Amino acid sequence: MEGLFLAVILVPLSGALAAYLADRKGRAALRDLSAAFTGIAEFLLMCGLAFYGMGSELYIPEICGMGLRFTLDGFRSVYGLTAAFMWMMTLLFSAEYLAHETRTGRYYFFQLVTLSATMGVFLSADLFTTFLFFEVMSFTSYVWVAQEETEGALKAAGTYLAVAVIGGMTLLMGLFLLYHALGTLVIAELLPAAAACTEKGMLYIAGCLTLVGFGAKAGAFPLHIWLPKAHPVAPAPASALLSGILTKAGVFGILAVSCNLFLHDAVWGLFLLGIGLCTMFGGALLAVFSVDLKRTLACSSMSQIGFIIIGIGMQGILGEENALAARGTLLHMVNHSLIKLTLFMIAGVVVMQIHKLNLNEIRGFGRKKPLLKICFLSGALGISGIPFMNGYVSKTLLHESIVEGIASAGALTGFLKMSEWIFLISGGMTLAYMTKLYVAVFVEENQDKKAQEAFDRQTHYLRPASAFAIAGSAAVLPALGVLPHLTSDRIADLGQGFMHVEGPVHSVSYFNLSNLKGGLISIAIGIALYAGIRTFLMKKENGITIYKDSWPKWWDLETLLYRPLLLSVLPFIAGVLCRILDSLVDWMILALRKTIYRDRKIPHELAEGSEFTHLLGATLDLLRRIKRKILRQPQPEREVSYEHRLALWREKFIETNAIIQRSLSFGLLLFYVGLVFTLIYLLYLGRS
Amino acid sequence: MNAFWLFLVVLIPCVGGVVTPLIRWKKRIYCMLYLESLVIFNSILVWLLLVFRPQEAFTLVNFTGNLAIAFQLDGLGTIFAGLVSFLWPFATLYAFEYMTKEKHERTFFMFYTATYGVTLGIALADNFLTMYCFYELLTLVTLPLVMHTLTREAILASRKYLYYSIGGAAFAFIGMIFVITYGETSEFILGGVLDAAKLGGGKNLFLFIYVLSFFGFGVKAAICPLNSWLPEAGVAPTPVTALLHAVAVVKSGAFAIMRLTFYCFGAEFLRGTWAQHLLLLVILFTIVYGCSMALRETHLKRRLAFSTISNLSYILFGVALMTPLGLVGALSHMVFHAFMKISSFFCAGAIMHQTDRHYIHQLDGMARKMPKVFAIFTLSSFALMGAPGLCGFISKWNLASAAIESGGLLSYFGVAALLLSALLTAMYMLNIVIRAYFPKTDFDFSSIADVKDPNWMMLLPLFVFAVGIVGFGLGSAPVTALFTAVAQGSF
Repeated sequence: MEGLFLAVILVPLSGALAAYLADRKGRAALRDLSAAFTGIAEFLLMCGLAFYGMGSELYIPEICGMGLRFTLDGFRSVYGLTAAFMWMMTLLFSAEYLAHETRTGRYYFFQLVTLSATMGVFLSADLFTTFLFFEVMSFTSYVWVAQEETEGALKAAGTYLAVAVIGGMTLLMGLFLLYHALGTLVIAELLPAAAACTEKGMLYIAGCLTLVGFGAKAGAFPLHIWLPKAHPVAPAPASALLSGILTKAGVFGILAVSCNLFLHDAVWGLFLLGIGLCTMFGGALLAVFSVDLKRTLACSSMSQIGFIIIGIGMQGILGEENALAARGTLLHMVNHSLIKLTLFMIAGVVVMQIHKLNLNEIRGFGRKKPLLKICFLSGALGISGIPFMNGYVSKTLLHESIVEGIASAGALTGFLKMSEWIFLISGGMTLAYMTKLYVAVFVEENQDKKAQEAFDRQTHYLRPASAFAIAGSAAVLPALGVLPHLTSDRIADLGQGFMHVEGPVHSVSYFNLSNLKGGLISIAIGIALYAGIRTFLMKKENGITIYKDSWPKWWDLETLLYRPLLLSVLPFIAGVLCRILDSLVDWMILALRKTIYRDRKIPHELAEGSEFTHLLGATLDLLRRIKRKILRQPQPEREVSYEHRLALWREKFIETNAIIQRSLSFGLLLFYVGLVFTLIYLLYLGRS
Repeated sequence: MNAFWLFLVVLIPCVGGVVTPLIRWKKRIYCMLYLESLVIFNSILVWLLLVFRPQEAFTLVNFTGNLAIAFQLDGLGTIFAGLVSFLWPFATLYAFEYMTKEKHERTFFMFYTATYGVTLGIALADNFLTMYCFYELLTLVTLPLVMHTLTREAILASRKYLYYSIGGAAFAFIGMIFVITYGETSEFILGGVLDAAKLGGGKNLFLFIYVLSFFGFGVKAAICPLNSWLPEAGVAPTPVTALLHAVAVVKSGAFAIMRLTFYCFGAEFLRGTWAQHLLLLVILFTIVYGCSMALRETHLKRRLAFSTISNLSYILFGVALMTPLGLVGALSHMVFHAFMKISSFFCAGAIMHQTDRHYIHQLDGMARKMPKVFAIFTLSSFALMGAPGLCGFISKWNLASAAIESGGLLSYFGVAALLLSALLTAMYMLNIVIRAYFPKTDFDFSSIADVKDPNWMMLLPLFVFAVGIVGFGLGSAPVTALFTAVAQGSF
C-alpha cells in the first residue's frame, strides 16, 4: 500500500513535468493528452487506494526535517476521491477551455503540481505534513489566479498570495505552540494528548492561530477578502478547483483541529458558529448583489463554506450528541465541491464562447442549449436545497442539528434560535441568487436581438470530452439526493471516525413533514427574495430591464481596512522607528566629529596683506565710517578701503625690498657699510 | 593528518594570493587557471583535514603564558571551515566571469584569495588571541575589495566599513583581555573557561564585559544599531558582496560570537541574566528591522543586504537562547543561509552583469529572458521565506523549536518575530519574483530583447547552490545530527 500512497503523490508531479515538456516542444495534442491521462490515472489510483488501503499508513522518516506521515481513513478516502474526481473532470474540460490561450503548459504544470499537493493535504496523518503540502498548494495555485496576466488578475493574485502567506505563517506559529504543548502533531494522537494537556490557555491560543491559517484558505470571514476576487479571474477549470476543493483543504484543517483538540468543546463551537454565521450570511449577501456570473458563484462558495463551518461549530456545541452535525458537515462539503465543479465549468463554457461574464451581456446565452440548461439546473437546485437534490440532504442535517441544539442547550437557546433564522434566510438567499443566474442565462432573452440570434445559432459549442465532463459531474448530484439512504448516508458513515462521532446515529427520514418544513420555509423566503431582486436590483433603461450593480464599490474590507493598515499605517510607524535607529550611530559619529574629533583648523589665509595691515586697515576703515556717520558725510562713489590700500603698500614695500636686496648696488652698499664699521673699530682701537 | 596542515591551509591562499600580481601572466586564462586550481587544492586539503582530523593543536608562536598563535580543529570550526571551503571555489569561478567587466582584476583576486586563508584562520583558531588577530586581519584584507571601484561612494563606504569594524574589534579586545586574565586558559572549550575562583563577586561586571564584546563582534554580524556599513558596502563587486558580505565576513562575526558565548564565557554562566535579555531584545528588533528596511529599499543588492542583516540576527537569536538546541538552530541557519543568500546575490550579480540594471523596478519581465537565473532566484526567495521543503524552513523550524523549548516570554516573542520576518521576507522577495514573471499587461518586451542568461561559469555555481538548497531542505537529518553533536560537544 505504501507504493500506492507514493504513487498518488508522485504521479501528478511526473504528469506535470510531461505536460510542461510537451508544451515546450510545441506538441499541444500530446500535452492535453498527458494531462488528461494523468487526471484519469490519479482517479483510478485513488480508487484503488480507497478500496484496498483503508487504514494503512505510510511514514517517510527524516525527510523535510520531521518526516512525512500519510494515512487513509473513511474521511480521507472520501475527500481524496472527491479531489481526484474533480481534477479528472476539470482536466478533461481544460483541453478545450485553454485551446486558444497562451502559456497553457505553465497552467497544466501548476494545476498538476497542485493536485499532488492537495492529495498530500487530504492524506496527511500529521499536521506537519498537512502544513507542508498546504503551503505548496497555496503557492502553486497562485499561478492559476495570475494565469491570464490582466491587471485585475494580477491584483487579485497579489491579494490571494498575501492572504496565503499571512495565513501560512500564522498557521506555522500555531503549530509550533501546539507541538510544544502536546509534544506531537500526529492527528490521531492529538485527542488523548489534548485531553492530558493542562495548559488549556495555550491550546486555545494555538487553536485560534491554526484557525486563522486554515480559515483564510477556506474563505472564512473576515479573511474571505481574496475569495470573491480570485475565483472570477482564474480560468474556469481553476475556479472550479479553487472554489470546490482548495477551500475544503482549509476546512479539513479546521476539522482536524476542532475535532481533536476541542472535541465537544462548547466555547470553541460557539466561536466557530459565530464565524460560520458571518461567513454564510455575508457571502450570500454579496452573491445576491453581484451581477457577474463567476463572482456570484464565488460569493456563493463563501456562503456555503459558512454553512460547513456552522456544522463544525454545532459539533462542538452539541457535545456527544453531535452525529447529525458531523454528518451534515461532511455531506455539505462533498455536495458543495461537486456542485461548484459543475457550475463553474458551465460558467467556463460561457467565457469560452463570448468572453464575457456580466449578466446583462450573457443574458439568454443558454436558451437553446438544453444540455447546459439541465446541468446548471441540477447544480442550482442542489445548492439551493430543493428536496430530492443533494444539497437538501446536507442542509436538512445541518438545520436539524441546530434544532437539536435549541432543544437541548439551556443558556444558548435564544442565540441558536436566531442562528436558525439566519440559516433559513441564507438558504433562501441561495435560492434567490441561483434563480437570478438561471433566469438571466437560460430563460430571458438578450436585450440585443443580434446577440440573441448568435447565441441561438451556436450548436457545436462543446467538444465531447468537455460535454462529458460537465454532464458527468452534474449526473452525480441528483444521484446523491434522490436516494439519500443509499448514497449520502453511506458517505456520511465514512466520515464519522475522523470526527470522533460517538453518540447514537439514528436514521433520518429526510422527507417527512417536520424535516421538510425547514426546507420549505427556506424556499418560501427564497421566492420572496427573488421577487425583491426583480423589484429593487433591476432597472429600466430605454424600455429594457437590466440588472444593476447596486453594491457600493468602496464597501470592501480589503480597500477599507487591510490595505491601508498593512501598506500605509504599519509601514509608516515602523519606518519612522527604523529611520531613527538606522541613523543613530551615524549621528553619534557625526557628533563626535563635530566636537571631540574635530579636524585641526586649516590656518586662516588672508587674501592680501598681513595680519597687521588687515587689523590696522580695518580699524581705520571703521574709524572713517564712524566719522562719516557722525558728520553725516556722504560716501564717495569710488573709494579704496584702508585695508586694501595698506595691503597694497605692504605688497609694494616687500617687492621693492626684494628688488633692492637682489641688486649689486645693495651688495656694494653693504660692503661699504662693513668697511666703515671696520674703520671705526680700528680708530677706536688706535685711540686706546 | 599532522596538525601542521592546519596552518598550511591558512597560509597557502594568503601566499598564493599575494604572488598573483607579481607574476607576468601571458593570458588572463592562465592566471584564472592558477587561482582556481589553488583554491580547489586548498579546499580539498581542508576537506581532507575535516575527514582525517588532527587531534592535537599546532602552535605557531608562543609568546608567553597562555598567549599563543595556535590552530586546532573542533566541531564548530569544522562546520565553518567546511562551509567556507565548499563555497569558495564556486565563488571564485563566478568571480572570473563577473570581473570581465571590472578593472584592476589582479589586485582584486589577490585580496579575494587571501581572504580565503584569513577566514579559515578564524575558523581554525585555537584560542581567543589567534581568532582576534585573524578577525582584525579580515577587516584589512577585505577593505581593498570594498574600495575596489574607487568611486567616491566606494571610498566612503570602505571608510565606514573600516571605522565600524576596527571600532567593534576594540570592544572585542576588552573581552579578550578579560577572558585571558580571568580564564583558566584562553583556548576554546565548550562550556566556557572562566575561573570561578578568580571571578569573585563581580558577576555584573563580567556580564557587562560580555555585552560589550558581543556588540564588538556584533558589528561584523551587522546587529542593529551597528549595521549601516553592510548595505553601503554593497558598492563592492558582487562576488565580494555575495561571498564576503553574505557569508565569510558576516558569518565570521556570528562565529566569533558563538565562540565568545559558548566557548569563553559559557552558556551556563550567561543564561537567564539581564545580559541575555538585553541581547535578545536587540536581536529581535534587528530581525524585524532588517526585513522592514529591505521592504523599503528599491536597489536590488541593498535590499538583499538588509535581508542579510535580518537573517544574521536569526543566527544570533539562536546563540542568544544559550541552549544547545539554540546553537543547533544557529548553526543550521549559518550554513543554510549561506547557501540561500549567496545564490540570491549571485543571481542579482548575474542580472547586473548581463543587463546593467540595479533597481528593482527595472526588472519587469526579466524572468522571460533569463529563465535559469530567475528560476534559481525564485527558489532562493522561497527558501529565504522558509517555504517548507527548502532548507530555510529547516533552520527556522530548528530555531523556533529551540525558542519554544527554552521558554520565557522573549522566546515566544522571538518565534513571533521569526514569523513576522518570514512574512516580510515574502513581501520583499516575492515582489521581485512576481514583477519578473508577471510584468504589467502593457509591458514592452522589445526593451529587453537582447537580454539572456549568463554563461556556464555563472550558472554552474548557481545550480550547485540550488541543489544544496533543495537537498538540505529534503534530507536535513545528517547535517542536523552533526550540528546536534557539535552543540553537545560530542564531536
